[in-house]
Amino acid sequence: MSQDTFIVFIVDDDARVREALTELLEAIGWRAAAFGSAGEYLSFPRPPLPACLILDVELPDINGLEFQKQISDGDHPPIVFLTGHGDIPSSVRAIKHGAVDFLTKPVTEGSLLTAIRSAIERDRVAREERAEFEILQQRLDSLTPREREVLPLVVSGLLNKQAAAELGISDVTLQIHRSKIMQKMEAASLADLVRFAEKLHIPITHSRRAGSS
Amino acid sequence: MEAVLTQRQYVPVAAALAVGIAASWLSASPVGLLAPIAALYLFVRRAAPLLHVALAGGAAAALLVATSDADAMREAAQAWAALCAVALCIGVMITSGEPASPNAGAWVIPRDEVRPYPVIGPTPREKVAPRSSPAVGIAARDDSATPALMLAASFWGGTPFHLRYWRIQSDGSGRWTEVRTEASREPCGTQQWRSFTTDVGDQRSMPRQPTKIASNPSDTDETVQAARIVESLLGNAWAFDANGRPTYLSPFAQSFVSVTLEEFQASVDEGDTVFKRTSHPDEYDRIAAKWRHSLQSGEPFYIERRIRRASGIHDWSRTAIVPMRDREGCIVGWYGGSMDLDAYRTVELELLAREQELSQLVDMVPSHVWRLTPDGEPTFFNKRMKDFLGLNVSDTERPGMSRLAVLVDTAIHRDDAAAFRNALTSCLASGETFAMRYRLRRVDGVFRWMSSRAEPMRDHTGRILHWYGLCHDIDDQVRVEDELRASKQQLQQMIDAVPVNILSFSPSGKLTYASRRYLDKVGSPPSHVEDFSALARDVAHPEDFPAMFRNASDGFAAGQPFVNRFRRREKDGAYRWIEARAHPLRDPNGAIMQWYIASIDIEDEMRAQEALRERERTLRQLVETLPAMIDCAAPNGEPVYRSRQLRDFLGYGLEELDGEAQSRLQRTLESSVHPDDLAGVKEDYAHSLSTGDAYARRHRLRRFDGEYRWVETRAAPMLSPEGTIIQWNVICLDIDGEVRAQVELRSAQEKIARASQAASLAELSASIAHEVNQPLAAIVATSHACHRWLSADPPNLERARITLDRIIRDANSASEVVSRIRALFSQSSKTRTQVDMAEMIREVCLILADDLTAKNTHVETELSQILPQPLVDRVQMQQVLVNLIRNAIDSMEGVVDRPRLIRIRAASDGNDLVRFELQDHGSGLTDPERAFEPFFTTKQNGMGMGLAICRSIIEAHDGRLWILDSSPGGTTLAFTLPIEARPSA
Repeated sequence: MSQDTFIVFIVDDDARVREALTELLEAIGWRAAAFGSAGEYLSFPRPPLPACLILDVELPDINGLEFQKQISDGDHPPIVFLTGHGDIPSSVRAIKHGAVDFLTKPVTEGSLLTAIRSAIERDRVAREERAEFEILQQRLDSLTPREREVLPLVVSGLLNKQAAAELGISDVTLQIHRSKIMQKMEAASLADLVRFAEKLHIPITHSRRAGSS
Repeated sequence: MEAVLTQRQYVPVAAALAVGIAASWLSASPVGLLAPIAALYLFVRRAAPLLHVALAGGAAAALLVATSDADAMREAAQAWAALCAVALCIGVMITSGEPASPNAGAWVIPRDEVRPYPVIGPTPREKVAPRSSPAVGIAARDDSATPALMLAASFWGGTPFHLRYWRIQSDGSGRWTEVRTEASREPCGTQQWRSFTTDVGDQRSMPRQPTKIASNPSDTDETVQAARIVESLLGNAWAFDANGRPTYLSPFAQSFVSVTLEEFQASVDEGDTVFKRTSHPDEYDRIAAKWRHSLQSGEPFYIERRIRRASGIHDWSRTAIVPMRDREGCIVGWYGGSMDLDAYRTVELELLAREQELSQLVDMVPSHVWRLTPDGEPTFFNKRMKDFLGLNVSDTERPGMSRLAVLVDTAIHRDDAAAFRNALTSCLASGETFAMRYRLRRVDGVFRWMSSRAEPMRDHTGRILHWYGLCHDIDDQVRVEDELRASKQQLQQMIDAVPVNILSFSPSGKLTYASRRYLDKVGSPPSHVEDFSALARDVAHPEDFPAMFRNASDGFAAGQPFVNRFRRREKDGAYRWIEARAHPLRDPNGAIMQWYIASIDIEDEMRAQEALRERERTLRQLVETLPAMIDCAAPNGEPVYRSRQLRDFLGYGLEELDGEAQSRLQRTLESSVHPDDLAGVKEDYAHSLSTGDAYARRHRLRRFDGEYRWVETRAAPMLSPEGTIIQWNVICLDIDGEVRAQVELRSAQEKIARASQAASLAELSASIAHEVNQPLAAIVATSHACHRWLSADPPNLERARITLDRIIRDANSASEVVSRIRALFSQSSKTRTQVDMAEMIREVCLILADDLTAKNTHVETELSQILPQPLVDRVQMQQVLVNLIRNAIDSMEGVVDRPRLIRIRAASDGNDLVRFELQDHGSGLTDPERAFEPFFTTKQNGMGMGLAICRSIIEAHDGRLWILDSSPGGTTLAFTLPIEARPSA
C-alpha cells in the first residue's frame, strides 16, 4: 500500500503514546494524525481516504467506548482500540459494536500493524462499496419518475406485457422505458440490473406468477 | 277806664244822697230818698232799668206787707210803697224821651265826653240804640254817610257843622231837623261843643239828602277829604279825648272788632269791657298800664299787641296813638291807628324761630363753622368752635395783630401754622376753595387734627362777600389712618420679608397684586399677561402646565383651595420647582373676594426627594438583585420582608404560608429547613432572638423544586438609637455549590490521597498499571520505530537517534513512577500531625453529606469534649474514616424498617489511647472473620480492599482496628489510636 492511499488516526490523551505511535507509523511509511481528545479528532477535516482510528478508552472528554457508540451511525473509519487497562467486558463490547480489534498497552508492533492493515482494508472496501452505491444512486436519480416506476416491475421478473398491463401503458412504451432504464443504469444485462436494484435496496414487489404482487 | 261817675257828677249825686238820707231820717219816712233816686236816674243812665225794676219790686213788696197785719209794719210799709211808686214814676218820666221840641235845645257836650261820633240830635231824653251809629238811627241809612263824614270833619277840624237831615224819631215818624254844631274854645282842655237842633218840618217833599247848609267850604273839603282818607284806611283808626275816652272808631276798626263807637264808649263806663274783650288776656294788663302811663305822661303810645276779633282769633297789630296838642301844647286828644301785624308778626315770629333754628343748627352741628371777611379776618365762630377754642371772635382782638394772626398763633399747631397761613393767604387771594388739615389746640391744651374747608360767598358780580368755613375734628380718623398706614407698612414689610412669594387674583382671574419678592425673583409679568391663565402659561414649565392648569381651573371653579407643584421659570430663565398654594378669601356672605396664592421654592427639596427616591430605588434594586437571599424579621422573629431571590428560591412569598396555628416563622422553618437541621436551627434562632446575639448557621434549605441545598444563614439585629432591637436582618447564602465544590475537592483530594496512598491495592495496581503502562507502551512503540528507521535503506540514523532519546526519557519516567509508588508506602512521620479527631469526624461527615442525604442516612456523633489529639497522618486517617463510613452507608442501603443511622463515638480510653467506635444499623456482616481479608467483598462492585487497607493504615499508626459487634441489626467497628507518638518503624 502506498502512503497516500490511506491515513491512520490516533486518539490518546498521553502525549508520549501519541508521539511513539506516530513515530512508528512514520517509520513504516504510513500517514498518521494524532489527537489528544475525541473532540480534537472530530474537529479535524477528514480527507477522503481510507482510514483507521486508533482509539484509547480513557479519554479526557469521553469514554472511548461511548465515543464508538456515538460515531457508529456515521461515516467513520474502523476503530482499533488501544488501552492501558483492558477488561473483558470492555473488549467484548468494543468488538460487538464493530471495532476491528481491542489491544492493550504495551502493544507489539505486529499486532498493531496487522490490526491497522485490516482496518484500512475494511475501510477501503467500505468506501468502494459506498462509492459504487453513490454511482448507482446517481443513476437511479437520473431516471424519470415513470422509469422509476417501471424498474421495480422489470427487476421483479415481470414480462414486458405484464409490466405494461400493470402500469396501463402499451407494450411498446414499456420497452422504450426498459431500454432507457438499461441505458441509464448502465446495466449490461437484466441480471446486472437486478444486482443493481438489490444494491439500491429496491424491493421486489411483483412476481411473474399471475395473481401475486 | 273811666270812673262810673265823672268828677262833675260826684258832687250833686253825693249831695242828693246826703239830703235824701237826712230828710228820711228827719221825717222818719223814706220820702227823702226820692232825691238820690232821681239823681241816679239823671246821672247814671245805665242804672235806669235796674232802678225801675228795683223800685217796682220794692213797691210791690211793700204793698204786700202793708196788706198784711201788723200795725207798726203797716205804716212803714205803706210809706215805702208810696216812696217806691212815686220814685218809679219820676224815674220813668225822667228816662222816657220826649220828642224834641221843634226848638230842641242846645246841649253842651263837654269835650271830654265827646265820643268819636258826636251824638247828633238825640237829647239825653232820647234813647238811641247804642250800637248803631246815631246817623243810622236817626236818618235813613243812605243818609248816614254824609252826616257822619261832616261830623267827623267838624270834629277833627274844629269847624262848625251845620246839617239838615231827616231824623227818625223813636216812634218812627220823621222830622226834618237842622243841626248846628260849633266848637267853643275854652282854655286848656275844656272844649265844648254846642249843638243846636231845630225841627224844620216834617215835609217829605224836601229832598232826603242831607245837605250842607253852611260851613267853611275850604275847611270842609280838606277835612272831609282827610276824613274820607282816614275812613278808608285799611287799618284801625282810633281817637280818644284827652282823658282817654274813645271818640272815634274807623269803620275798618269797627268791623275788625265788631264794635261800634257807642258800644266802645259805653264799655268804657262799664269798665272797658270792649277793650278787655278785644285784647289778649296775657297782654291786657300790660297794655292798660302802658295806656295809662301814656295818658298821664303824654308819651306816645306804641304797642304791638294781639287784638281779639269777633271770631275769637287774635291778630297781631301795632297800635300807635299819639297825642294831639294845641298851640299851647296842651293835649287835646289822642289819635292813632293800628296796623294789622298779624301776617308780619307771624312771619317775623317764624323768621325768628327759623333764625333760632338756624342758629341752633349752626351751633349744634358737630363741626366748627366759621366766617371770615374777604381779608381773612374772623367774624364768626359757631358755639362749638367757641367751646373748643375757648375763645370767641372778640377774644382774638389784640392790638397790633390781625384777628387771624392771633387765631393762628394761639390755636394752630406750630408745625402746621406756616402751611396754614400760606394756604389760606393764597386762597384768599385766588378765591379758590381752601382745604387743609392741621392740628388745632383745644381749650385744654390738647392738639386735635382738624380738616378744614372754606369757600367764598360771592354776590351777583362775583365779588367775594364772605368766606365760610367748616372745620371738622378728624383727630381720631387721623390716628386711625396713621395706624392703618403703619400696619399697612408693617404688613408690606412682612410680606416682603417672608420668604414666600405672594400673588393675588380677583375672582375673575385678573392679577391684582404681586409681592416684591415675586417680582424680584420671577420678574414682572410681561404687559400682555394680565390674568392667571396668561401668567401660568408664561411662567410654568410646558410639561407641567397642563396638569397644574387643570388643577387650578378646577379649584377656581369650585372655589376650593388647591395646591400645585410645578416648575416655574425665574428671571434668569432657569426653571425651578415651586409649590403654590391657593386659597380664596370670602366676604361675610360667602362670596369670593380674592384669590391668594403663596408659593415657595421647593427645588432643593424636590431634588433631594428625587435623589432620595433614586437612592431608594437603587437600594431596593440592590437588595433585589443581590445574589443573596435576604429576609427581614420583626424583633420577635416574624418575617416581614423577603427579597425576590429568597421568594424565588423558596417558591413562596411572604404571606403564602400564613395561617392560624403557627407563626410565619415557624411555618417557614418547618416547610423549608431540612428535617435533620430543623431542631438545631430552631434552637439557635430562638437563642439569638432572645439574647440579641448574631445568628450564623449552615443548614439545608428546601428549594422550590424539592431539592435541599446547603445554605449559610446569618442574622444580625438592627438597633434603634436607644439600643433596642427594631429588626432582624437575615441573609441566606446558597453555599450548596460551594459545599459541593468542597465535597468534590475533598473527593478529588481523596482521590489523590487514595491514588497516592496504598489505600486500595486494586486501585493502586490499576493506577500503577496505568502510570507505568503509558511510558512502557510508548517505549515499545518507539523501539519498533527505531528498529525500522535503522532497517531502512538507507538507515535513517537521525530519526533513530530521536527515537532512542524518547525511549530513554520514557523509561526514566516509568522508573520515577515506581519510586513514587514506593515512597507512598513508606510510613514517613513527617506527614503526621496532631489532629482534632472530632473535628475530622465532623469534616468527613460534611464531605459525605451528599452521600448521606442521597442514601437518607443520618449520622449521630457522641464525641467526648476532652478528646486528646493523636498524632496522625491526616490524609490517611481521613481515608480510613471515609472508608468506614462508606461501608456503613452501603451496609444500610436496603434498610427500610428502621432509621438508617450511623453512630460514631469517640472518647479517651483512660490510658493513652483514643478509642473510636462506628456503629451502623445495617444487616450486619455475614462473615465477620473474613471482613479484613483482601479481595473479600460482598459488594457487587467492590474490590474488597477497603477494610484491609484501613487496618494496615491504623496499624501503621500503632493502633488497632477490629469488629466490636455484628448482628442482623447492625455492625460496630472500633479502632484505637495512641495519643503519644511512637517512633516509626
